[in-house]
Amino acid sequence: MLKRLLFIRGAELLALAILATIPLTVDNSYALGLLTLLAIYGILLIGLDVTVGYLGQINLAHAAFLGLGAYAAGLSVSLLGFGMLAALAVSMIIGLILGGLLAFPALRLEGPQFALATLSFSALSVIVLNEWESLTQGAQGLSIDRPHFLGMSLDAQGFYWLCLLMLILVWIAMRNLLSSQWGRAFEALRDSPIATDAMGVGTYRHKVAGFAFGSSLGGLAGGLYAFNFQYLQPQGFTYDLMVILLLGVVLGGRKSLWGAFFGATLIVLLPNLLSNWMLFEIISALGFAAALAAAIVGWKKNSKVTFQAAAPVIAMGILVVGGFMVENTESWRKAIFALMLFAVVVGLPDGIMGFAARYLTRLFNIDPPALPKASALDAVLPLQFPNEKPLLILKNLKRYFGGVKAVDDLSMSVLSGQIHGLIGPNGSGKSTAVNVISGLYAPTSGDILLQGKSLPQGSLFKVARTGVARTFQNLQLFAELSALENVMLALKGVYRTPLPLVLLGFARAEEKRAQANALALLELVGLQDQARVHAKDLTYGSQRFLEIARALARKPKLLILDEPAAGLAHPDVNHLVQIINRVNQRGMTIILIEHHMDVVSSLCHRVTVLDGGHKIAEGTAEEIKRDPLVIKAYLGIADDSPASAATA
Amino acid sequence: MVVSGALMGLVYALIAYGFQLTFATSKSINFGQGELVMLSAFFSLSLLDWGVPYWLMVPGGLLFGVALGLVVERACVRLSLEQKNEGWILLSIIFGLLGFSVAENIWGRDDRPFPTPISTEPMQFFGVRITPLEISVAIGVLAVMGLIELFKRKTLLGKAFEAVSADRDAAELMGISATHTIMLSYGLSGMVAAMAGILISPITTVGPTMASALILKAFAVAVVAGLDSGFGVVLVGIFLGALESLTSFYLGSGWREAPGLILLILALAVRPNGVFGKASIRKV
Repeated sequence: MLKRLLFIRGAELLALAILATIPLTVDNSYALGLLTLLAIYGILLIGLDVTVGYLGQINLAHAAFLGLGAYAAGLSVSLLGFGMLAALAVSMIIGLILGGLLAFPALRLEGPQFALATLSFSALSVIVLNEWESLTQGAQGLSIDRPHFLGMSLDAQGFYWLCLLMLILVWIAMRNLLSSQWGRAFEALRDSPIATDAMGVGTYRHKVAGFAFGSSLGGLAGGLYAFNFQYLQPQGFTYDLMVILLLGVVLGGRKSLWGAFFGATLIVLLPNLLSNWMLFEIISALGFAAALAAAIVGWKKNSKVTFQAAAPVIAMGILVVGGFMVENTESWRKAIFALMLFAVVVGLPDGIMGFAARYLTRLFNIDPPALPKASALDAVLPLQFPNEKPLLILKNLKRYFGGVKAVDDLSMSVLSGQIHGLIGPNGSGKSTAVNVISGLYAPTSGDILLQGKSLPQGSLFKVARTGVARTFQNLQLFAELSALENVMLALKGVYRTPLPLVLLGFARAEEKRAQANALALLELVGLQDQARVHAKDLTYGSQRFLEIARALARKPKLLILDEPAAGLAHPDVNHLVQIINRVNQRGMTIILIEHHMDVVSSLCHRVTVLDGGHKIAEGTAEEIKRDPLVIKAYLGIADDSPASAATA
Repeated sequence: MVVSGALMGLVYALIAYGFQLTFATSKSINFGQGELVMLSAFFSLSLLDWGVPYWLMVPGGLLFGVALGLVVERACVRLSLEQKNEGWILLSIIFGLLGFSVAENIWGRDDRPFPTPISTEPMQFFGVRITPLEISVAIGVLAVMGLIELFKRKTLLGKAFEAVSADRDAAELMGISATHTIMLSYGLSGMVAAMAGILISPITTVGPTMASALILKAFAVAVVAGLDSGFGVVLVGIFLGALESLTSFYLGSGWREAPGLILLILALAVRPNGVFGKASIRKV
């Protein structure tokens, strides 16, 4: 624990000390300019990393937010006479508002469509900045005076310290955000947006908030940028800059504050490196050697040269050879960027810092921080007292896909405190039925009542919020999160701190409580010893149990288990039955979809049988087993025609 | 004027059609497609400079486009499809950057005229002034799209293409190589881009910056129509081209690109699958 603090905080403090003292020891206005730019780009890239790294979307609008923030700050000084701090606040708010406005439509999209939406936004912004000449002076450019800061007039050095201070504040705020529920949610919604919604953590609202926050940092960086250069032109914020910013984030390392900072350093230094031919050749030769070494190591391991291993070597090779063939490396700047970026994207997907962090953690053997003691289960999963009344009622529920009647006129009720089995042959509509109940699909018609009140229709998120939790037949865990974090993400009623306070670091106590609560649920399913294991590294059985623990974290009134025993080995099935029994004994109402008849008979109080979207039988497990319609549905034998058995 | 705009729109539609080809097979598009158009146009121009006759230059330029398309597929797309991630967005953006820089250094930063054997003398049709060159653009666009559609429907290879578009896994199980089909789609897409470059260059001139201007419009057309909409791109392309010339006439040429961009964002917000596209169902 101490070692961890020492290394991580120590590195931060060391870097800070160096950055803060350079201007005192070196009297060089050029170096000071670079440092100022470094702080500004640091803020900018930390903001960009929210979308590119944590949300996992290619965001092409960040350069535009830099520009819009810059113009907002500049204009609020020249037109409204604002001071430095007020102007910076304006540029942040502009980023926040425009980011939010763009995020609403854009973040319903994924992948290429999102990239396109942000690309159009940035092209549009540059057009507006160019053409709204009465306000922005268009292509002529806008000159800005650096305003007073709290009544003081800042010189270059003072302004640098202001930028550095901003960088520190942004760094701390970002660290607080990432180590809270928000950081977990960002990670989770990249892995499985469906499960994030189903756990009552709104995918969409977290994405929008994340994007808007990142954009506001872009705006803030823009404000500082404006007061640094004191002259703005729309051409400065086009696609070209955007590509360079992406280069910084990816090269430095996504999902990492240090990565963003390192990327900013590269962006600031690269033009200088490129202008010196000798230095450029040395760097590209080093890169080539590193790529070659990595390729050889990979080749020895797999005895096969994959394109992935060879591509960085080729790219760096072109760079080294090309360097000898051209006279002026400066004019080939973009091609050089492109080749380096290509080599890093293919060869080091985690970026340079991601690679270094993994290596250093292993080298110094830094342990994760210790876990608190588990909370009492009664506090995490309160006892419920069933009243034998129906908890859930389906009335004439229908769901059609085109002409396919997946669920056709299904009516049933689930009594509170019971385990209600839902069985039927493949394609009988079981999964569609629970997908409609849990809000993944809207019903074609019909009503779903929970405790007499209509459930929201067609929204996983809203249904989850009313107290229905589910697991998934095809696991939907958050693969990159640990078992503990998977459960923590879903916890209900723990996270109350509003976002501004989270940024200021007031969510720590809440985090400890969340860990303790999550541990209690992991104990319930027998995973307490694997709390720190990534979900993707758990055994298949453990992953199924983790899904149940995660659903329980919602403190649901109704728990839907979608084929929890599918693919489980026999000992795991026994363990599963124990878990379900234990949960049910706490008064939990459960809908169980299952194919294992022995699991169904040993657990379920009542069973509903579906076939072809219709309910064909309902009763206790014993009654069901004797029902001729059920036997026919499963085995295809009509009681009175033994002939069909031969052909079936 | 509106008619000329609409005819220009056909070229946007052609580039957008190139996006559709690759999106159908691999669910990916080349963000560096604009650079493909520009590089092919420059290459064709160099062919003419070296004394290659116009009608031989055309297949030469198209072949160059095919080659570039295949490079993009190999270097940018296949890798990330193997890893099932969306790295191809970033990689194809990088490819575009490289292409831009190469063009800038080899062919220079200035716009250059592109010769054409077809007359640019305006003619009068029912009161509309139009040049034979513009008509040839329209014919060229429709001919290329028609030929590719015919190829997809009438030949065995084309049917493999349709099969992979409909369901990649099922097609693989039937012994169709998805990798080869995706290569084919990128080759065709590169050819379409080269054709667009050869067709539009006599009207707009050739320069490194033509890439970004064209690609935004082609994106707008592809997204508004829907990335799997077939001939929807033609209608949207004509509409957008006409809208553009109206905008630049009434608001000034600086605003020329604005309506396409606004339409793109609106289309994504309201109908992410496009006006002519189909919605898909989420499954768990």
